[in-house]
Amino acid sequence: MKRYLLPGVLVVLALAYPLLVGDLPVYGRLGALVLLAAIGASAWNIVGGYAGQVSVGHAVFFGFGAYASVVVYTHLGWPPITGAPIGMVLSVALAAAIGVPTLRLSGHYFSMATIAVGELVRVLSSTSDFLGGAQGLGGPAMPRTVFDLSFISATPFYYIFLGVLTFLLGLTWMIERGRMGFYLRAIKDSERAARSLGVSAGRYKLYAYMLSGAFSALAGSLYLCMFGFVDPESGFGILISVKMVVMAALGGAGLLFGPLVGALILVPLEEFSNSLFGGQGAGFTFMIYGAIIVIIARFLPSGLLSLFNRRSTRHVD
Amino acid sequence: MTTQTRRTLAAGAALLTLGIAGGALAQAPVKIGVIYPLSGNSATAGNYSKMALEVGAEVINNGDADLAKIMPLAKGGGLPGLKGAKIQLVFADNQGTPAAGQNQALRLISEEKVAALIGAYQSGITLTASAIAERHGIPFVNGESVAANLTERGFKWFFRTTPVALDFARAYSSFLKEQKAAGRKTDTIALVHENTEYGNSVASVIADQFAKDGLNISQKIAYSANSSDVQPQVLQLKEKNPDVLIFISYTSDAILYTKTMKELNWKPGIMIADNAGFNDPAFVKSLASQVEGLVNRSAFSAGKPGSVPDLFNALYKKKTGGDDLDDVSVRGLQAFLVLADALNRAGGTEPAKIQAALKATDLKADQMVAGYDGVKFDDKGQNVLAASVVTQMRAGKYVTIAPKARATHEAILPYKGW
Amino acid sequence: MSSTLVQVIVSGLLLGAVYALFSSGLTLIWGMMNVVNFAHGDFVMLGMYSAVMVWTALGGGPFAAVPIAAMMIGTLGVASYFLLVRHIMKGPMLAQILGTFGLALFLRYAAFWYFGANFKTLPDTIVGGSFELMGIRFEGSRVLAGVMGLAVTLALHLILTRTAVGSRMLAVSEDATAAQLMGIRPQRMQALAWCMAGAATGIAGALIANFFYTSPTVGETLAILAFVTVSFGGFGSVLGALVAGLIIGVVESLSAYLVGPVYKDVIVYILFVLVLWFRPQGLMGKA
Repeated sequence: MKRYLLPGVLVVLALAYPLLVGDLPVYGRLGALVLLAAIGASAWNIVGGYAGQVSVGHAVFFGFGAYASVVVYTHLGWPPITGAPIGMVLSVALAAAIGVPTLRLSGHYFSMATIAVGELVRVLSSTSDFLGGAQGLGGPAMPRTVFDLSFISATPFYYIFLGVLTFLLGLTWMIERGRMGFYLRAIKDSERAARSLGVSAGRYKLYAYMLSGAFSALAGSLYLCMFGFVDPESGFGILISVKMVVMAALGGAGLLFGPLVGALILVPLEEFSNSLFGGQGAGFTFMIYGAIIVIIARFLPSGLLSLFNRRSTRHVD
Repeated sequence: MTTQTRRTLAAGAALLTLGIAGGALAQAPVKIGVIYPLSGNSATAGNYSKMALEVGAEVINNGDADLAKIMPLAKGGGLPGLKGAKIQLVFADNQGTPAAGQNQALRLISEEKVAALIGAYQSGITLTASAIAERHGIPFVNGESVAANLTERGFKWFFRTTPVALDFARAYSSFLKEQKAAGRKTDTIALVHENTEYGNSVASVIADQFAKDGLNISQKIAYSANSSDVQPQVLQLKEKNPDVLIFISYTSDAILYTKTMKELNWKPGIMIADNAGFNDPAFVKSLASQVEGLVNRSAFSAGKPGSVPDLFNALYKKKTGGDDLDDVSVRGLQAFLVLADALNRAGGTEPAKIQAALKATDLKADQMVAGYDGVKFDDKGQNVLAASVVTQMRAGKYVTIAPKARATHEAILPYKGW
Repeated sequence: MSSTLVQVIVSGLLLGAVYALFSSGLTLIWGMMNVVNFAHGDFVMLGMYSAVMVWTALGGGPFAAVPIAAMMIGTLGVASYFLLVRHIMKGPMLAQILGTFGLALFLRYAAFWYFGANFKTLPDTIVGGSFELMGIRFEGSRVLAGVMGLAVTLALHLILTRTAVGSRMLAVSEDATAAQLMGIRPQRMQALAWCMAGAATGIAGALIANFFYTSPTVGETLAILAFVTVSFGGFGSVLGALVAGLIIGVVESLSAYLVGPVYKDVIVYILFVLVLWFRPQGLMGKA
């Protein structure tokens, strides 16, 4: 019974959070922002953490999701959320197109190739009139129906994001437990050894990449629904890719709850330091943010969860 | 949904009571939220605007004897319409991202309980931040974002004081037509613009307007902002050798183009810069001697001694330690003064009263710190009296050369450069 | 060939030598330790600010600025190694991204806090202005940076391949444990690599500042270029970075001139991905 106590308390806390902070819109929104960041980082975690393929170009998928949502609104007048499945399907196809040439690369070469592809897509998106060019595109200015998801309160977003994250983590958990998870870990430890055992490394890496891309796109669509605007920088910018990596790595990459823990630390840190120091215009926000990341990396290079989860230290290469 | 509606109503009621309480407590300062890029690539602009707004607030709170002769609000002692309430500016950093802009807008509204918002420089961020203000029913005054779609959203709480790209295009067009009439060559025009929202939108508006006015744009070069090198573009220009060159560039690119044109030793007969980078005080300070005779547009025109812009400029100069007001900082300051005027007439900090006062704004040209013909909003919230002056770089300083009514100097052409 | 085209190619080559210059430090530590330094662009930025400070405080040109910047950024490299990199190397590869990204943000905004957001430029007379040679125009400060780029690259290459210290450093990069058994102290060699990389990066910054602009965020613009240059050339290959830098410089210039400046990055990235398709270890990297 006792071992269910802590998880139980955490689940209740997660469900009740919006009610606890009901009168403080900033905190309600903060909860939603944490969950949204956790969705993106958890999606990245499938290929970056479990399979050990460190993509620094996941903004490509995030941007595809965001743009798919805003494009169905702009060109067809549909509610943005209807673009989510379109963005996910497109991202799976795109992941195949990017993954086939790049996933053969090892280590840092893969990371650099994904950066290049990300920048490529960003530049191209800014030249496309269909995507609103460099000006970007805005979602519905005023809500038309409830399906536009233009809520004043962040609470509906919170529960939508919580649902998506739960689904994604459940799926990841199943993969982790199943054959694919076994293969991915084998590939991460030693691709050559995995191949010699008959694992089709290329195929499983690609599956992981496609799945990861699909959920990154979903994160992008949800972002668009909440913020109502995307331009090349906020959709495809390299900072979006880097933040996904940093969040997962900070919490513990390749661990189910690693990205969520990373988001729980970094998102409030970013918001609070900006709220406290941003107005002075002296750059303290990012000095503090950077320094805390450095300190965590210095003392816990395998992520925060390595403190509690001794098993994770085994994965250190 | 019902709980949500109920909470919204509760929040609205809370805001309302607070507003009434604020009105009753005469001395409580009025908070104005200001969202600017205070970090990231546009931080220079944001930090200059921040200082300009601080100057504006100091004038209203503490007074300035010379300005008080012209401006009723410069007598000091806060806003008379709010029983002498002082203005308190609450700054927030949008970090150059639409998401941070929106998060901060919400924080200013719900935590700081600001009466109104000013911001947010980049059009994309103004779009997301003002959407939050609209949903919460808080007035949002924008002083710098030029994207046309901002006032096309049917918003009721959004007011924009700045001229838009079309005004700039018309100013250039009439300037060039005057030069043509005076016998200068304007047969071929090259348009060089950076490829983000600002450069793209202004360039396409200029291209449309020039086509209408029979001016021939013979060359159009788009380049990525923050390029590492611009030599190929300058070589393209050198090869075609256009009579007129128009730049729409940020500071980083303005610096590179200026240096590279000198390196490759090429200059056009008339060179026009659409503001932004070429107006950055850092650019003017270090590179003015290499762009002598550059034609620019600006919302800032120093005007005659003792005029509103002249007096504000002196205060601003003291604050920044030697920088003049420029286009960006003056437009921010103007937006603030418009809001302060509306707050004063509103006689309370209830959002609806401020909104009504903003709608009724009717400021005359002599009250302007920016080079506008006044401020008056149309149904969409756009200032219909916004205007730009055409300036020219002379010995390290921009002076006004057009329109005739405001000009302090005659234009000297051709472009001299270095 | 038209003279403009020759000018474009010459400009591209000079630009490429500059790319090689600011990438050489990155490739050195990358090859030595398999560590990606996401703060590399910000090291360059601090090197640029050293030159700006030397100019504004002492009125000195590049001959004063280069050694000062080399010392300052070299020291920064050693400090980063002992305080941070040494520890994150024990963790997974991701820890490097995490740690050096945090360092990048910290350095960028420390510069922002100290120097302000404003753009700084150095006068163009600092290296003798521009001149014309056989119908082609050259800018003194760019030529200096290009020549120094070649010199620094060659010096690093010679140190690594022809000196005892170099072979010890390479031994550590091949197998730190084995090197230790042979009496080499890996940490000392790695610290030395960070020092050399920092110094090279500082020199790069001090020279680029003469013709570029300096601002706290300038590192972002340069970092991605450095990453592409280094992996294009092959991790750890100093000569590879030089060749890659020159190719990228010429391709950028030509595509900006012939196709359009917006597409120059696109063309470079496509070329980069193609190179990796045919040579997954980069042009001159070890397989």
